Formats: sequence, structure tokens, C-alpha cells
Amino acid sequence: MSADVVEIKGEMTLVSVLQLASPDVAKVRQGLQQKRDSVPQLFVNSPLVVDCSSLGDACQRLDFQALREAIVDLGFIPVGIRNIPDACQEQAVLAGWAMLRPVRQSAIPRTGRPAVQEPVTAGKSIEVIERPVRSGQQVYFPDGDIVVLQHTSAGSEILAGGSVHVYGSLRGRVLAGIHGDTSARIFCQKLEAELVAIAGNYRLLDEIETDLKGQPAMVWLEGEKLRIAPMF
Amino acid sequence: MSRIVVVTSGKGGVGKTTTSAAFATGLAMRGYKTAVIDFDVGLRNLDLIMGCERRVVYDFVNVINGEASLKQALIRDKHTENLHVLPASQTRDKDALTQEGVGRVMDGLRDDGFDFIVCDSPAGIERGAHMAMYFADDAVVVTNPEVSSVRDSDRILGLLQSKTQKAEQGGNVREHLLITRYSPTRVASGEMLGMEDILEILAVPLIGVVPESQSVLQASNSGTPVILDKTSDAGQAYDDFVRRFLGETVPHRFLEVEKKGFLKRLFG
Repeated sequence: MSADVVEIKGEMTLVSVLQLASPDVAKVRQGLQQKRDSVPQLFVNSPLVVDCSSLGDACQRLDFQALREAIVDLGFIPVGIRNIPDACQEQAVLAGWAMLRPVRQSAIPRTGRPAVQEPVTAGKSIEVIERPVRSGQQVYFPDGDIVVLQHTSAGSEILAGGSVHVYGSLRGRVLAGIHGDTSARIFCQKLEAELVAIAGNYRLLDEIETDLKGQPAMVWLEGEKLRIAPMF
Repeated sequence: MSRIVVVTSGKGGVGKTTTSAAFATGLAMRGYKTAVIDFDVGLRNLDLIMGCERRVVYDFVNVINGEASLKQALIRDKHTENLHVLPASQTRDKDALTQEGVGRVMDGLRDDGFDFIVCDSPAGIERGAHMAMYFADDAVVVTNPEVSSVRDSDRILGLLQSKTQKAEQGGNVREHLLITRYSPTRVASGEMLGMEDILEILAVPLIGVVPESQSVLQASNSGTPVILDKTSDAGQAYDDFVRRFLGETVPHRFLEVEKKGFLKRLFG
């Protein structure tokens, strides 16, 4: 019976990793806050794994308790910590950290404390917007594709974990593959965007030499270069 | 049941107050009991345009604070029957507008049997504008044919979809686009955005186009809503707009460059 209620699976999940370069928690906090404030919507309640591989012995001076508090304070969910010297492990566990095995192995917490606080997606993989996306509005959907049935205005922002489809004029900013999906694409009926980005590679449309402005077009990533081509 | 209509734009100086005055007058002329409220606390103008600035005793903020009753504060318009003006306070700022207080005033007007409540929004997207739109059933978005005005209207349309009571309850505020200060000559010469371009960007049903007109300034200076000037093109355009708002089908006018007749061409 209980088998129906819960099921434990070993699964790979995409999680942000905080690479520590200093054992000074105040500095780490400052750096993390800057990153968060640059794209606040992206990081709200976002799970975070801390990696100490670049710290080496400096790990001894790391205050695990304070680090955990700083991360929680900034709105992240600390999932676990990895690559710390054996001498520090006990300290980290006492501070409530889950030990993660070093990378290249399955990223499942080793200690008993369950750290599964990742956002649950109810299987929805597409967000359909039926009204125009106006100046100053932002559509954020990290779990998949965004489809806009009308136009998007100058001064609007579309942020999708997957691809973005706009069945009208695309005039604002559009960022696809915000979690690093390099296969994400942008499709639109009329390309008039201010900025296009895929997996962090962005271009201002004004900088791009293309005669496709105002035309139905598709944007995708080839290597690290954004390509634009007509759709028909 | 009262219908609350906000006249808004985002940008300043596009003609919100002129439109509010003309619109409210037009509704009242057709027999609807109408109230027009100035939400521009601290920069009150509506009373000037309506020509009742010398009759202001109590104002909107007094009513919100319970220092005066609605009856005391509402000014009966001297031009038009059925029309009442609720002026803004000049000595306060927009923080005096509380959501609860504004809600109480709206309820009071509803109870008094007003058919239409026209809310003249201040410019900007801050508290005053937010409070003006919050209780609205309809929104008249006033836009001039130039890019910054159109951009600001777009922003306001976004807020109408998220920051209103209707939106919070999962409904929609009905949107109407009114283009003012439209000059067909300057559109033809490419100095101004054309009507089609504006509609392309905003994608909102057009309810009227008011031409740029000397009569608007004259009307403002004399404190008579321009809609009462039946001979002026702007007055007629506002009248068309009111009729469309009430459900009539009226063709759009004043969109083409006026063809000058032979005599006019000779004598200017």
C-alpha cells in the first residue's frame, strides 16, 4: 500500500551550483545577492548546491551555519554541499547541510536528511498567453515553452526555460532557454524585438545585420552564435 | 447599477482632463446621472476645465477622510443637468487616496443612483493613477499620435490587466482607445504616427479620434467643456465618442486631410 503513496527515484535534476571562491560568508553573501538582484524572478526559491572544490583547505575557515543562513536569507533553498575535505564534513552536517557526492556521480544526498525541496511542476510544460504582453509586463515560465497568441510590446519581457513562440509582432525582449537549454528557439510572426537571447547568449536586434526585421523569423543557437532565419 | 469609467493615459498633457470633462458632460446631456471625479490630488485641474473652481468648498479627500459628506462635496454643474463634479484637493498629496476610502466614495455614489462615474486619472503610474483605475469597469485610454504617449498607454493597458479589482477577481476592464490631438496634415507629412500604426501597436478597439483643435484651448480657458461647442470639430468628435460609448455605431471622422475648396485656396 505504502508503495503507492511514495516512490523514491534516482533522478537527474538541473540545479544551480554556487561555486565558492572565498570562505568569507559576508563576501559570498554580497556576491550572491548581486547575482540574484540582476534577475530576481529567476532565483526566487531556487534550489542551490554549494560546491567547495575551489576552496581546498580554506574550507576549515568556512562558517557552515552562517553560509546556510545567508543562502536562505537571500531566498534560495540550500539543497546540499559537495567537495569539502573530510575534516569539515561533521561541521557541515551539524549545520544542517546534506552531503552531496562529488560531481560525475549521481547527485543524490548521501545523508539521511531529505533535502528534496525542489519546486514541484505539475507536468505543465507550456504557458499560453492569450492577451498582448504590454510594455512593463513580464512573462516568466521556467518549466517550458511560452506561446503568445498576440503581440508583445516594446518594453516587455518574455523569459522561458524552453522555446518562445509569438504569433504576432515580437517587439520586446525575449529570453529563451534561461536555464541553459541551448536547443531552445524563438519563433515569431514579425521580428521587431529589442533583444533576443538563448541560453544566456544575447544580441540586440539593432546590432544584427539582417533583412528579416519585420518578417516571420526564427532564432536559434549554433555553437555560441545566434542565428536568424526566415521561417517560410 | 453604476458604471465606473476611468480616463487614463500614463503620459501627462495628452488630454485626460479635457476628455473627462467632455465625456461626463456628453453622458449627462443624454440624461444619465453622471459624476466626474478628479483623482489628481495636489494638481487639481478638472474644476477649472468645468468652470466651477470658485464653487469648491469640500473636496474628494475631505470625503475620504469623513470630514464632509458626498452631498456637501459634489458640485452641481452649471452647464448641464444631471452632472456633478467631485474636485480634488489642492493642498494634499496622492497618499491621501486610500483604497478603502475611494471604495467608500464609489459605494456612496452608487447608492445615490449615479449611472456613470467618470474617474479623471492623474498622469503617471503611481498611487493616484492606480486608485483612479482600481474600481473601473471601463477604461478610456487617451493617446496622442506620438511614440512616447503610445508607449505609456501600452504600459497603462498592462496595469489595467493586473492592478484593478476586476483583474484581481479574474475579470477584465473593458478597454477603449481614444486618440486625441490628431492632425491628419501632420500624419500625412510623416511628423505624427498614423491611426493604423497606433492601433497596430496597442491592439485595443478604437472609440474615437479627436482632431487637434484651437477650440479645445478656448474651451479650457473659458471653463466650458469643449463638447458644448457644437460648431467645433473637437466638440463633434467628442460627441461621436460618447455616442459610440453608449453603443451607437458612428463612423469615424476627421481622419483625412481636409480638401481645401477653390475659394479657400485663393484666400487661405
